[in-house]
Amino acid sequence: MTCAEFQRVLPYIIETGGNADEEQHLRDCQICSDLVADLKYIADQAKLLVPMEEPSPRVWEGIRGSLEREGLVKPARARGRLLGFQHWGPLPWVASLAALALILFGVFLFQRAQVEPSTISEPAGSASVSQPAVSLQTVSIDRDDDQLLQQMTTSRPAMMSNFRDNLKQVNAAIADARQAVQQNPDDSEARESLIRAYQQKAMLYEMATRSLQ
Amino acid sequence: MTGNTAEAEDLTQEAFLQLYRKIATFRGESAFSTWLHRLAVNVVLMHLRKKGLPEVSLEESLEPQQEDGPRKDIGARDNVLAGSIDRVNLERAIESLPPGYRIIFVLHDIEGYEHNEIAEMMGCSIGNSKSQLHKARLKLRDLLKTSRAEKAVRR
Repeated sequence: MTCAEFQRVLPYIIETGGNADEEQHLRDCQICSDLVADLKYIADQAKLLVPMEEPSPRVWEGIRGSLEREGLVKPARARGRLLGFQHWGPLPWVASLAALALILFGVFLFQRAQVEPSTISEPAGSASVSQPAVSLQTVSIDRDDDQLLQQMTTSRPAMMSNFRDNLKQVNAAIADARQAVQQNPDDSEARESLIRAYQQKAMLYEMATRSLQ
Repeated sequence: MTGNTAEAEDLTQEAFLQLYRKIATFRGESAFSTWLHRLAVNVVLMHLRKKGLPEVSLEESLEPQQEDGPRKDIGARDNVLAGSIDRVNLERAIESLPPGYRIIFVLHDIEGYEHNEIAEMMGCSIGNSKSQLHKARLKLRDLLKTSRAEKAVRR
C-alpha cells in the first residue's frame, strides 16, 4: 500500500481503525505514522477547548428586549400590574381571611350576652365542650397564641395568667375534638364539637384583642 | 464557530429568537438538541454568507485537489507536534480556518458531536463530514507547524 492510498482512506479509518493492509502500512511508514499522531494530538488538544463561558448579560437582555418588542412576551412590569397585588405576596389572601374571621366573630358575639373577660362562655343552646381528654400539660401553645400572650404580658399583665389558662383549656378541647374526628370522620357530633372548640378560641382571641385596645 | 466573541453573542441572541419563533415547527423527528444546533449552525452560516466570507464547500469534490495529495513530511521525528501545542496557538489556528472547516472541527472535536449528528445538522453525508474534518485537521497541522517554525526562527 502506498502513502497516497493510505492517506486517501485515512479520514474514514482514523477513528475506527483500518484493515490489515492499512494497519501494516501505518506500522511501516514513519511519515504516515507521524501524520496520524499529529492529527490525533490535535483532536485531543481540541477537547480541552470546550467553552465554559456563559453569554454575557447583554445577550439575555437583548433576547428579552426583542421578544417584548415583537409582542411575544409581556413586559415584566405589565404582568405585575395586571394582577395589582401580585408583588405584595400572600398578604391580600391573609387580609381577606382575617376579615372573614372577624365578620364571623362579630356575628357570633352579636348573638350572645356580655361576657366576663376572665372566663370562657358557652354559646347559647349549645352543649358544653366536654372536659378535654388531652392533658393540659401536653397541649402546645402555637406561634399565634404566643404572640398574643406576649402582647398581654406587656399590656395586660394582670389578665395574662387567666388568659393563658383559658387558652390552654381551649387548645386541649380542640386537640380532643380533632382526635375524635380523626378516629371517626363520619361522626357529626365530633365535627360539631371541633367547630365549637374553634369558635371558643376565636372568642378568646376577640376578647383579648378588645382588652388590648 | 465564528472565531469572534462579540459576533458569537449576537448570533446566540439571534438563534434564541429564531428558536422562540419557530418552536412550533419542531416535529420531534430528531432530538431537540440536534434540531436546535442545526438552527444555530444555519444562523452562523447565513451570517457568514452575508459577510461574503469564503466557505469551503461541504460537497465532496470529484477531482482530487492538490492539497489532497499524500503528505510527505520528510524529516526527523521531532517534526511531530506532540507536546508542542499550547492553547493560545491552537485557538489562533482554529480562528484562521476557513469557516466551513472551522464549523465541522468545532462541532466534532470541541463540542463532541458524532458525524451522523453533524451530517444531520449540516445537511451533508457522514462521509462528507469525515472528509471535511480531516481537511480541517490537516490545515491546523500546517498552521501549527508554521507557527512553531516561526517561533524557532525568532529565538
